Amino acid sequence: MDDHVVSVLSNIGVISFVALSAYLLLLTGEISFGQQAFFGIGAYAAAIATAMWGWPLAAGLMLGALAGASSALLVGLPTLRLHGLYFAVATLAFAEMIRILLELFHYQVAVDGELVGPNGTDGFGGIRYVFQNKIGAFEYMLLIYTLLATALAGLWLLERSRLGVAFRMIGGDETLAKTSGIAITRHRMIAAALAGALAGIGGGLYAHLTTYIEPRIFDIMLGVHALAYGLIGGLGTALGPLLGVLIDIGLLGSTRLFSGYRMIVFGGLVAVLLIFRPRGLLNEEMVHRIGSFWRRVWPTDPSQKSHGKT
Amino acid sequence: MIDFVQTTVDGVMVGCSYGLLAIGFTLIFGVIRRLNLSYGPSIMVGAYLGTFLYVQFGAGPLLVAVAVVAGAAIAGIYVERLCFAPMKGGAGVASMVSSFAIWMQLEQAMILLLPRHTYAFPALATGAPWEFGPFTLRPDQLLMLILAIATGIIVNTIIYRTRFGTGLRLVTSNQIAAHLVGVNVRNVMLGAFALASAVGGFAGFLVLAIDQQVTPMFGMWATIKGLIAMMIGGLGSVPGAIAGGLVLGVIEAHAQGLVGPQARDLTAYLLLFLCLVLRPGGLFGKAPEADGAFSSRST
Amino acid sequence: MSAEILKVSGLATSYGKIEALKGVDLRVESGKVTCLLGPNGAGKTTLMMTIAGILQARRGSILLEGKQLVGLSPANIVTQGVALVPENRLVFPQMSVRENLLAGAYQRNDKVGIAGDIERMYTRFPRLRERSEQLAGTLSGGEQQMLAVARALMSRPRLLLMDEPSLGLAPMVVADIFRIISELNRDGTSIFLVEQNAHMALQVAHHFYLMEQGKVTFDGTPGELAEDEVIQRAYLGTSRRSDP
Repeated sequence: MDDHVVSVLSNIGVISFVALSAYLLLLTGEISFGQQAFFGIGAYAAAIATAMWGWPLAAGLMLGALAGASSALLVGLPTLRLHGLYFAVATLAFAEMIRILLELFHYQVAVDGELVGPNGTDGFGGIRYVFQNKIGAFEYMLLIYTLLATALAGLWLLERSRLGVAFRMIGGDETLAKTSGIAITRHRMIAAALAGALAGIGGGLYAHLTTYIEPRIFDIMLGVHALAYGLIGGLGTALGPLLGVLIDIGLLGSTRLFSGYRMIVFGGLVAVLLIFRPRGLLNEEMVHRIGSFWRRVWPTDPSQKSHGKT
Repeated sequence: MIDFVQTTVDGVMVGCSYGLLAIGFTLIFGVIRRLNLSYGPSIMVGAYLGTFLYVQFGAGPLLVAVAVVAGAAIAGIYVERLCFAPMKGGAGVASMVSSFAIWMQLEQAMILLLPRHTYAFPALATGAPWEFGPFTLRPDQLLMLILAIATGIIVNTIIYRTRFGTGLRLVTSNQIAAHLVGVNVRNVMLGAFALASAVGGFAGFLVLAIDQQVTPMFGMWATIKGLIAMMIGGLGSVPGAIAGGLVLGVIEAHAQGLVGPQARDLTAYLLLFLCLVLRPGGLFGKAPEADGAFSSRST
Repeated sequence: MSAEILKVSGLATSYGKIEALKGVDLRVESGKVTCLLGPNGAGKTTLMMTIAGILQARRGSILLEGKQLVGLSPANIVTQGVALVPENRLVFPQMSVRENLLAGAYQRNDKVGIAGDIERMYTRFPRLRERSEQLAGTLSGGEQQMLAVARALMSRPRLLLMDEPSLGLAPMVVADIFRIISELNRDGTSIFLVEQNAHMALQVAHHFYLMEQGKVTFDGTPGELAEDEVIQRAYLGTSRRSDP
């Protein structure tokens, strides 16, 4: 596979994690402008683990997920009782604080006679685990997509579990969910932690993909993009945010389509799309239609199958 | 003590422009109960238009000011028509994301117009700072203060003394009831966008004239500062917006004076975060009621 | 048969894919009180909101003395002389009682006339005069209802629509409201009233409709209403002893 294609696909895979993270919160009815913070925290944590402490990649990624989840819980304690715009802006304020704190974060150690570690606004380079362990770009891409597929499978199971139903109920009508006996705060905390973990893993993968991270990558632009991907791709399925990332980074970012005018065309298209499809391309209705079409082509019910043959 | 007073005065000067930015933001939020992320970028359109006239034709500050205000108002109308007017009730998140998409669009269009990273912007007034004993006062800052206050008075007059202003207050208070007493709600919304963006545009002009330069980051800067000042002061309240802007300006000035620029931004966000967590209605506002219309629940 | 001020025919309104009104036909006579009964969710509020132009009709027509209201903006419908007292009052909570009344006259320009009308409202609703400078959001439910009625009257409507004015109010206040309805009617205002309190409505209304699941299922005089056994049981709460 072409190097350029591998690099674009890897990038799409990694950004999908933060889009999924925002999507998961949207399911519970909350808009977050701050998922990029957990992406950044995960990136720094995973990179510190492998590049400075000599941990293996798997452990580093786990640390990234854990750091993302625990910081999401920590910030969730005071913010999760807020709603709507108040919650959205509180997450924005938190994420920007994290970004500025990362700008002030200096922690370097000598590795092989060279200083490695976060160095404020100059960023954190030399995250060379992938290179040092002779993992090829293609292999690393496979790793990203394996983890992404795992995350999607997890979300797919989650949406069909009691927990997922509870999330959608809270997202649909919190008062109704409460009267149905759903513990709102606990469920929102779980959703926040899961979303934080997703973003954290994505951050860890990102750091090892680019080998260099700096605080300004994790700014509000990334956060709002993550939110927008779900709205563009569709809120009906976890594949929606992925479609959003694919359209933005894959179709427009890498093909130099409309270069120079890209956002003029794309921004206008998104605005027009949202007039007709306020819940994105793959909205609930579309997902339902695809589902029933699929069942007609590929009937799983044995009685239906035999019926079709006779 | 002398430093403290001087820093506070400097903060008040900057805070005035934050207050104006927040007034525009809060007027829009009041009538549509949604977040217009393109608020700052609309102002940027005006700012770039003014800069273009200045750079290309050497336009003076007055003409530039008119261009900034007009450009911002037109961009605001464009945003309203595309991102807010066609949306059915309840599609709050879609509107917000749509306004973000248009933010990207406007920003790139302006970068095509003026591709360099930094451009000069005409000064509001020139002249040596005045000295009052140990204190100094820049003439352009004083002029900015006066103009900001004058703008505040004009906006206040529009809101409380005109028929459009009455309609705007009625829509802000209760949209359906406003329909029922015969307010043309769609026109009021359009007018609110135009007025708010024009006020924001003038605030942007003042800020840029003090800095005497403009960069493509200006749109984002205006959205963020307006948003922080609005939330600190309490959503949908004009006096709150001014107070929020002043508080933000003064606190930023002190944080910068004591520690440095990163501490300034950190303090601003910390203040915002604490306000939201401890007093979600804003420092000066009442309990929030803006929730339902914004939440993704109602998409 | 006297002249009709409002004629609704074949009216259908939907929320998304759910059709709330499925072809409604009814008429309101000029100078009379017409009452619409019906259970919750029958579409009564939807009908009122559609007449007022807040909701868009999908099919059908609404004629005000022959003039088509479907397609007009809510503001335009107020200009035509229709005012709605909405369900749950919907006053402007952060504004004073006086400002709320002025808001009702939003489309008028005659300052003298407006001042005179406010004075008339204060005479008709003395509580509003006492509370003149108080914020509307701090009024009691009954006072807010009075204010909502007074605000609607400030536009000098030819047709007053009232959506469940007695909802959630104490019996004394309900009696007050109905006294005012019959006074207004005596002064010549045509009134189209949505009510669940059929007992009270029987005292003021000249004609009744019953609406169920988006359709009109009964159309008759108060006498005919009182004779109808099903309505008797459902709305008047007096089950006449009949054959088992």
